[in-house]
Amino acid sequence: MSLIEIENVSKEYKSGTEIVTAVNNISLEIDRSQFITIMGESGSGKSTLLTMLGGLSVPTKGKVLIDDLNIYALPQNNLSDFRREYLGFVFQAFHLIPYLTVEENVMVPLAVGDLNKQQKKEIVYATLDKVHLKEKSKRLINELSGGEQQRVAIARALINDPLIILADEPTGNLDSKTSEDIMDIFGFLVEEGKTILLVTHNKVYQSYADKKIFLKDGKINGGD
Amino acid sequence: MKIYSIAFQSLRRRKAKTIFLIVGLFLSVASVVTLITVSENINKSVAINLDEFGANIIITPKSDQLMINYGGLSLGEVSFNSSPLSENDLQKINTIKNRKNLSIISPKLFETVNLKGKNALIAGVRFPEELKLKKWWVINGKSPSFPNNLLAGSNTAEALKIKVNDTLVINEQQFVVSGILSNTGSQDDGLIFMDILTAQTLFHKPSKLSLIEIAALCYDCPIEEIVSQTSSVLPTANVTPIKQNIESKMMAVHSFERFSIGISLVMLVTSFLIVFANVNASVTERTKEIGIFKSVGYRKSHILKIILTEVIAASLTAGLLGFLAGISAAKLVLPFLSMHGITSFTYNFTTLPIAVLLSLFVGITACIYPAIKASRLDPTAAFRFI
Repeated sequence: MSLIEIENVSKEYKSGTEIVTAVNNISLEIDRSQFITIMGESGSGKSTLLTMLGGLSVPTKGKVLIDDLNIYALPQNNLSDFRREYLGFVFQAFHLIPYLTVEENVMVPLAVGDLNKQQKKEIVYATLDKVHLKEKSKRLINELSGGEQQRVAIARALINDPLIILADEPTGNLDSKTSEDIMDIFGFLVEEGKTILLVTHNKVYQSYADKKIFLKDGKINGGD
Repeated sequence: MKIYSIAFQSLRRRKAKTIFLIVGLFLSVASVVTLITVSENINKSVAINLDEFGANIIITPKSDQLMINYGGLSLGEVSFNSSPLSENDLQKINTIKNRKNLSIISPKLFETVNLKGKNALIAGVRFPEELKLKKWWVINGKSPSFPNNLLAGSNTAEALKIKVNDTLVINEQQFVVSGILSNTGSQDDGLIFMDILTAQTLFHKPSKLSLIEIAALCYDCPIEEIVSQTSSVLPTANVTPIKQNIESKMMAVHSFERFSIGISLVMLVTSFLIVFANVNASVTERTKEIGIFKSVGYRKSHILKIILTEVIAASLTAGLLGFLAGISAAKLVLPFLSMHGITSFTYNFTTLPIAVLLSLFVGITACIYPAIKASRLDPTAAFRFI
């Protein structure tokens, strides 16, 4: 059984009086521990597909099944809980909370859980260790470089030990050396059993992928 | 870290916004506390001063017949009453529970006499108490200072053609008119005032009284209560509150209260709008942050909790600081507002919970809509915003 099954998913939205089809009748299956790259030109529907996979955007039609759960059939609160347990997001612009420290940013998803303070700290430090930021745990976000901020975002995405990491152009704002470091971390996470879906423009990263998806005008236009 | 820790860190590290939020609430709470405290103190001052501007209780002997009127009040059978009031009754009055509220007790003895072929009404009074009770009296000449001094009302002086320093003979005893009252528009214009001891001796009524006027300070006790207590110690007397005096006093007392409530409402509405605008702008500004919370699996209730915790913490701080500032401001402002001077500044500790609850009420009601808006924010809209 596949971890992710997307069945005839479409997403339309209104732009003024016009209806735009961002994703057009896509179906695909993704197995566990796979590294998937999603590529395509701007406006091809990559990010829309990712947000639908992440339970953040309801498809106009079709179904998204993760671990055999039709996620958009879940009540709102259950969908939120599902996101917290199954999914981790990494964004191009990092999207960290500026008034929190590194440690606190990473801990944000745990703030609504049942763990005690000590357990939370242990998990946070173990996760920061994975991204080599343990020593900067007390720093505020604006005291870090872009690469370090993205590693904090990755640590936050990993904190609940999700099955799936959804990364939308995570190296878009980073230099090539730092980007390679980030991609190495992703490679290591796949080895640990995570499934990674990476939206990228950079063809170089195809070398990491177990499966490549190319989108054009909201449709799958090649890949393997 | 818990949800509320995020809210506290937000307040702690976004200092400018936190201060703006607190100041918005603080100003209204401080203003309301100032107005409440000033209002209480001024009301007290007004009540005390008005109480001293005349009697608000009159005690007369019980009688079936109405023979003489004094200020619209029946004096009963002044001359022929079988159980008139006496000096002993004054001592009984001073035993009531609320005796501290009795500011002035002014006994009177009335007697009709024939002067220059005309009937005149003599009022035996204790001049020190009477002059304190009737601060509006303007005396042409001198206040009586000797037992044989008289003070004539304006109408009586005109009718009997009496002038200052004239000598009058009453019951074969000589008296000197030390002063004549300017027109008061009251029953006093038709009287001749005499020392009460002299009157009691002159009319052979030792210790007897026709009526007793009382000015009670009834700021913190109902006048009906004083009347009831007095009635119980004087069962053979009529104890009557002068409604008109009380009502006019209460009108004056309540007028400043109404003014304070009006200003307080304006301040609260202003504060509500400031907090509403502040939280609403903050929600818009924090669209990205709310998107992040949603993406990591926060429920609507979690987002609401963060925003409400921030506003509640700010409201509690504003309430407490507003109370302290309001009390201090009232203390500073009061001397400039008081007409008669305030002898002691008092404040009520129940204003503290009022201030805190008020601050919480304004803060929470102003943030409910923005908080719900934030909790319902579409995360993809947040990411588009990003």
